Amino acid sequence: MILKLVRRNIAATKGRLLLMLLSIVLGVSFVSGSFLLADSLRSIFSQITETAFAGVDAQVRGVEDELATSFEPLRFPDDVVDQVASLPEIELAEPSLTAVFQVFTVAEDGSNNRPQGPPVFAGSWAGESEVSAFNLREGTAPQGAEVAIDSTQAETHELAVGDQIRVSGPGLEDFLPVTVSGIVTFGETEALGGAYFNLFELETMQQLMGAEGLIDGILLNGDDALSNAQLLAAVEAAIGDHPDLEVVSGTTLADEQSGDFNEIIDILGYVLLGFALVVLFVSIFIIYNTFAILISQRIRQFGLLRSIGMTGSQLSRIVLIEALIIGVIASILGLVGGIGISWLLKQLFAAGGGEFPDGPLIFKPRTILIVFGLGIGVTVGSALLPAFASQRIPALAALRDGAAARQSSRSRRILIGGLVTAAGAALLLLGLFGSVDTTPRLASLGFGAILLFIGVAALSVLFASAVTRAIGRPIEAVTGLTGRLGRDNASRNPQRTAATATALMIGLALITGVLVLTESLRSSFDKILDEAVAADLFVYDDNQQFPFASTALDRLGALPEIADVAGVSDLRVEIDGGVESASGFDVVTENRVLDPKLTEGTYAAGSDGVLVFRDTAEERGLTLGDQVTVRFEDDFTGEFSIVGIFDDNALFGTDWIFDRAFTAQRQNQDAVLFAGATIADGIDIAQGQAAAETAVASFPQLAIENNAEFKETQEGQINSILYLVFGLLALCIIVAFIGIVNTMALSILERTREIGLLRAVGTSRRQLRSMVRWEAMIVGVFGALLGVVLGLVIGIAAVTAIPDSFISEVSIPWVWAIIFMIIGGLLGMLAAFFPANRAANMNVLDAISAT
Amino acid sequence: MMTEATQVGGAVIAAARTVTKIYGSGETEVRALNGLNADFRRGQFTAVMGPSGSGKSTLMHVMAGLDRATSGEVIIGETLLSTLNEKQLTLLRRDRIGFVFQAYNLVPTLSAEENMVLPLQLAGRKRDQAWFDQVVGAVGLGDRLTHRPNELSGGQQQRVAVARALVGQPDIIFADEPTGNLDSRTGHEILDFLQTAVRQLDQTIVMVTHDPISASYTDRAIFLTDGEITSEMGSPNADEIYNHMRSLGA
Ligand SMILES: Nc1ncnc2c1ncn2[C@@H]1O[C@H](COP(=O)(O)OP(=O)(O)OP(=O)(O)O)[C@@H](O)[C@H]1O
Ligand SMILES: [Mg+2]
Repeated sequence: MILKLVRRNIAATKGRLLLMLLSIVLGVSFVSGSFLLADSLRSIFSQITETAFAGVDAQVRGVEDELATSFEPLRFPDDVVDQVASLPEIELAEPSLTAVFQVFTVAEDGSNNRPQGPPVFAGSWAGESEVSAFNLREGTAPQGAEVAIDSTQAETHELAVGDQIRVSGPGLEDFLPVTVSGIVTFGETEALGGAYFNLFELETMQQLMGAEGLIDGILLNGDDALSNAQLLAAVEAAIGDHPDLEVVSGTTLADEQSGDFNEIIDILGYVLLGFALVVLFVSIFIIYNTFAILISQRIRQFGLLRSIGMTGSQLSRIVLIEALIIGVIASILGLVGGIGISWLLKQLFAAGGGEFPDGPLIFKPRTILIVFGLGIGVTVGSALLPAFASQRIPALAALRDGAAARQSSRSRRILIGGLVTAAGAALLLLGLFGSVDTTPRLASLGFGAILLFIGVAALSVLFASAVTRAIGRPIEAVTGLTGRLGRDNASRNPQRTAATATALMIGLALITGVLVLTESLRSSFDKILDEAVAADLFVYDDNQQFPFASTALDRLGALPEIADVAGVSDLRVEIDGGVESASGFDVVTENRVLDPKLTEGTYAAGSDGVLVFRDTAEERGLTLGDQVTVRFEDDFTGEFSIVGIFDDNALFGTDWIFDRAFTAQRQNQDAVLFAGATIADGIDIAQGQAAAETAVASFPQLAIENNAEFKETQEGQINSILYLVFGLLALCIIVAFIGIVNTMALSILERTREIGLLRAVGTSRRQLRSMVRWEAMIVGVFGALLGVVLGLVIGIAAVTAIPDSFISEVSIPWVWAIIFMIIGGLLGMLAAFFPANRAANMNVLDAISAT
Repeated sequence: MMTEATQVGGAVIAAARTVTKIYGSGETEVRALNGLNADFRRGQFTAVMGPSGSGKSTLMHVMAGLDRATSGEVIIGETLLSTLNEKQLTLLRRDRIGFVFQAYNLVPTLSAEENMVLPLQLAGRKRDQAWFDQVVGAVGLGDRLTHRPNELSGGQQQRVAVARALVGQPDIIFADEPTGNLDSRTGHEILDFLQTAVRQLDQTIVMVTHDPISASYTDRAIFLTDGEITSEMGSPNADEIYNHMRSLGA
């Protein structure tokens, strides 16, 4: 009996459920799409690594230290190769040397060939062999002045076997002219996430890196008759006199490699999933609204059912079963939609230069379970409140217009809404300021935000009427009656208005929060540039901020046009037993180029001194002359005395400064992250810049920028983060938009008779349309207002919580705040387009006699 | 047609000329109005009576420009409704016709007063304060003007609806069972008021009713059967009407 009613209800209202269904399906599709994409990528990459390392039985390599900062493995002398190769257990021992973002092929104009985003690998390659990860697709293995490149690079830059090209390397004075000897694929894979590979003979690679006689690994293939354990034991014995070397099996290697890939894929998957959940969260409010409206539309019918003896719980069961059915439908559609979404995401990445290899879609049972769990859970969960409200529908509702279900009392709403908001705020604060691990922090941030949004949504019901009336006041003043009616309609059902506005609020609050962050980042950055930087030129890898060889700085320093060059390198050190980030800085330049704002002591760190950030010094009770024990990457350990205390830790982003002249020897590779330079007296900036550019022309990855250019690039970087977030959150806004259309359309159906009446007494279609538009606009502005205010609060809290070394200034994006309100209003108007037409086109008589 | 309209003369404010209204087609065709002719004169209070399904509501809708006749002509003042497009019809309703429904006459978000002046505001017309006060005084709702419809009784709501029809000083007011939802005492209040509007405020009202006592408030009763006017009665009293209806077998 109940099922029959449910079926009839759904059949009768299916048009009204469509938009709500769309909003759930969008969210669920995104969820299933992120899982599908991540799972497929994982399987593809694990397959790739498996084939790539299929012939590798073991590898000898340096022992990685926890203090390592380099992206490349530890190097060691190549004479170890002979020790290993001469073992009877070993059939093939191939030494290798690799580099990331250091060796590039160079285009005609002297710029490097690199994809936007994905890495550029270089390495030695002795041609196809059992241990080789690469396959030749064309040509031959590189020898002498030759390079083999990957097919993606070859296609992108139209390179073919036999072409003459130059390559760059930190060990070279100038570019090295080479011939393209071959095109390779990684295993059988054509496109590896858009990464480039440049492969050379070992000697050439060593020359390019300035690492003569050094290698960073030996790939081994052993006697097949032996077990892997026996092989490893034999090699281990052979390298026993090198404590800094280890041997690992091929499977370990493959696992590590796919583990590295998986890490990136996981991050990608979580980011996508995060946005998917936000979208789904937004749709909760739309579902809630739809059910609430559908129930109020059927209130007479429900009242009738009550009057003929149906119990309240039977009534709410009807609603919940409806929700269940819709949840199941949405989940099925979402699962299918996920295929589309994952395809779309792949295309997007490909368009952004990060093409993924092709592979089958992986439908894991886990994905299906989660999709159904979320789809059904969200739908039924959102319908719970309206379902319980329907229990309170009196039998009288059948007989009278306007006999609505009893609303929950104001004080109860304040209490519950207030509690939820407070709990959300507390969790947010805990997540921002709490000194716990990253995972619980993020969880607490996420839950906090969810609770905060729900709490604010609940509380906003209290002031929805007042605020929408206030927003509508000027509209009414300008437009008169239609504005008046729209204003009334926007404020007449605060619950509905609040839920509709909340959907918009969430997206805009997140966007505003991110904007506060990025704007603050921007102004913090400007402040550093203005106050702490005297440099005329900035030298860094402008694509990835990847470290570069310090020889580039030596060349700059030798120029007569350049007065001072101050390089900064990234370090990890162990100070009094704890691992810390630190900087190597050319302290001889003192504050002439980059100014960390010394408050006490001197810059003379030398090989046994260190400068410390003021707050950290206070925290640790350190004063000038105190000693700390410091261990470096190369295991050098020594006592260092505090020679200076500085005030600005935002400049380098660390609390400890060592002399780079000293730390360069402690680092696995002498690499610099960033450098500033001042131009000698009497030389103008353009001239100095030109000279500097020529001097480091063989480092095509380096940008030499003046102050204005530097600012612009940095802003560009911030903007690109911003656009990415905007792009993803745009989906939230779309769903919120669907929500406004949905609410307006349903409200108009609900008010059919009223609209008929308005038409009967002479309201023109145009007047009716503008009435609906004004209503939607007011709701849109209300949502935007909530979102902007909440976003500002969250953003400011986050900026305050982030350490000053990262963001030191709070900047509020007022202009954007106003733009968002206008956008909110416009979205509302746009959303009203279809409902307004629908209202205007209603047949007067049908409308007036509708039940 | 035009000549016919001019022939109607000043006293006739609304007229139906061989008006036919057909719903559906073929098997399901219903002839709700069947070549009906009727005149309504200024300052006259007319009752429209007849058995259920005889076409009373249809007549009101067609006369008031809420619906279009299938054939024939409806004339309001000197305007032939068939010549008007949808928009002009809306304006005609707004400016020259008042309508009172059986129920659900008021916009729930507007106060009683705002509901009353709604057509004026829609038209952007200024209210005639003296006339407004007179109407409000006549409806006797002076102290309830700021109340919302849900704060008014059913009878009060209907009075507001009638007042709204009057405030715009329309050429004619059509009311479809305006007392159908009310108890008899409240119903008679409304009828008293409608009568006052016609006698003292010189309005023209056409009202559908099933109740002989209600009809006795009017100047004239017309009887519909199967979409045609079958008889007419001047200054009817309840007993006469009752007897007449019995003779019609209704
Ligand atoms: N929209 C419609 N579609 C089809 N037939 C209709 C429609 N409206 C009315 N009818 C039919 O037209 C005829 C006249 O209906 P109308 O509503 O005018 O009667 P009425 O005299 O007002 O009756 P009552 O006293 O019950 O209100 C009836 O047979 C009715 O079924
Ligand atoms: Mg009727």
